[in-house]
Amino acid sequence: MGLDLKPILTHTNIKLSDLSNKIIAVDAFNTIHQFLATIRGSTGELLTNSQGEITSHLSGLFYRNINLLAEGIKLVYVFDGVSSPLKTDEIERRHQVKQIAAEKYEKALIQGKLEEARKYSQATSVLTDKMIQESKKLLSLLGIPTIQAPSEGEATAAKLTNSDLVQICASQDYDSILFGAKRLVRNITISGKRKIPNRNAFIDVSLELFNLEDILNQTNLTSEQLVDVGILIGTDYNYGGIPGVGPKTALKLIQKYSKLENIDQLQEQLSNIPYEEIRELFLKPKIANVTTNDIKFEPIDYDKVVEFLSTEKNFSPDRINSALEKVQNSEKNKNQSLEKWF
Amino acid sequence: MVFLAKTKSPDEWKAVTSAISTLVDEATFEATVEGLSFRGMDPSHVALIDISWPNSAFDGYECDSALKFGVRIDEFSKLMKRAEKKDAVEVSVEENSLLHIKILNGYKREYKMRLIESTGGSTPLPKLNFNSKIILTPASFDKILSDIEVVSEYISIESDEKKITFSGKSDSGEADIIIESGSEGLEELQVKETSKATYSLDYLSKITKAISASGGSLVLEYSTKMPLRLEFRVANVGRIHFYLAPRVQD
Repeated sequence: MGLDLKPILTHTNIKLSDLSNKIIAVDAFNTIHQFLATIRGSTGELLTNSQGEITSHLSGLFYRNINLLAEGIKLVYVFDGVSSPLKTDEIERRHQVKQIAAEKYEKALIQGKLEEARKYSQATSVLTDKMIQESKKLLSLLGIPTIQAPSEGEATAAKLTNSDLVQICASQDYDSILFGAKRLVRNITISGKRKIPNRNAFIDVSLELFNLEDILNQTNLTSEQLVDVGILIGTDYNYGGIPGVGPKTALKLIQKYSKLENIDQLQEQLSNIPYEEIRELFLKPKIANVTTNDIKFEPIDYDKVVEFLSTEKNFSPDRINSALEKVQNSEKNKNQSLEKWF
Repeated sequence: MVFLAKTKSPDEWKAVTSAISTLVDEATFEATVEGLSFRGMDPSHVALIDISWPNSAFDGYECDSALKFGVRIDEFSKLMKRAEKKDAVEVSVEENSLLHIKILNGYKREYKMRLIESTGGSTPLPKLNFNSKIILTPASFDKILSDIEVVSEYISIESDEKKITFSGKSDSGEADIIIESGSEGLEELQVKETSKATYSLDYLSKITKAISASGGSLVLEYSTKMPLRLEFRVANVGRIHFYLAPRVQD
């Protein structure tokens, strides 16, 4: 998912505490998908309650956000609206990938190849409307504001970093940079120990902060040119990009020719890509109109969180309570806002 | 030339930039015929800095018409640190949207820094009445904060006509510091009404460390459970005000 810009983007590793008191817009779909892919049992099965309802997304949203809130980080979750028609092919492709993975998963389970089953299971996650509603409900009980984007959530999250309301956006996808995010943080919900696929080993995943201005300075590109680099590599709107052109080649091409129209040797291949529309989608995306009133940080509704997660979803009440205590006792959350005195 | 400000040393700029850098990464300055100013809050709106630097405080000042310019404050601060105490500094904005920093001392060094898009509307100031006023040196305040920081993440300040008690506690222990009227380092204590409030040490100690090197004196004003205001009186900078919201008390 998303485009592979990593080799050409510089970043700094930061600590969770560096984000204290910052306001972060989180790409909700991207994050919940991560939870569905990674929060699974030993043979790759999703977590469920006694009625068989999936709870992996709620587990992730609860424990991860509690960690962030205890650090005094302020979060705003931005949900996807309707995707651009240009993304239809990509959505269909992902759907097929999921089906194939689901078949392989079943097969591996029957054959008793558990490690393999776990691997395939991660690619099968489907985010349902019910999960989205439940996620929104839990976030609101945690006092975390949510925003409904008209189109891609990450576009609105990215653009918010250009306002006074939000400093950083959080997503795993580099598309946020193409959408104009001033600052992008990756791994916010998975930092710490993470299992290496196919191996029974763990690595430390650190928080990565990308700064658009630094990236543009270092690559000597404009935002518009960075989008062109993305199109050559392949975005959600033109999966795969130009065959044989990877991140480094794409960067060199744009640095040399400055825009897609000038790369003579690729004109034939580019004629199949609606690149002008794709540029428009990144540079002038449809975004939600967000004001201060849409971003109100509320206190956690402790009783209702416990009721929802332990009564309805069978989470262990002890674990829920001890996690909630962590936020309650956090010294970082006792500062008031000066706005009270304006 | 759109804007030009000269100072006899880099110290004034160092105080201003290091103070601002404790709250924000990017700062928008506003220059008018009357002088230079900055006002901004940290992202979570717990603290506010209000700087007003009148033209008379500069060694030379020119500004044709009002303008705003945005800088990445760490970059600006880093360049300023290259200047030594006796170096004269000239900061200017020209038509090319670059900030020019000239360091003059026998020979001339010039830095050019890219300006960033200035953001933000006008930030209001909190409306406050202060019942307690304490004047002390930044160095002695810094020492008090460091003493409390050993055991606590916050500091409670209680003052009456005769003394001030600074205290802090955590699971590991407690700290109390009592300073009586007339003690060394305490220049003035005026209390209309006994006051007590608690504040984050992190914010206080960052700003105090940032400015204490510049000497001068520090005026701390607050009231019970209300925000405090620190005024740093730094030579040749008009006014640096720092506001901090109190913590919720248990």
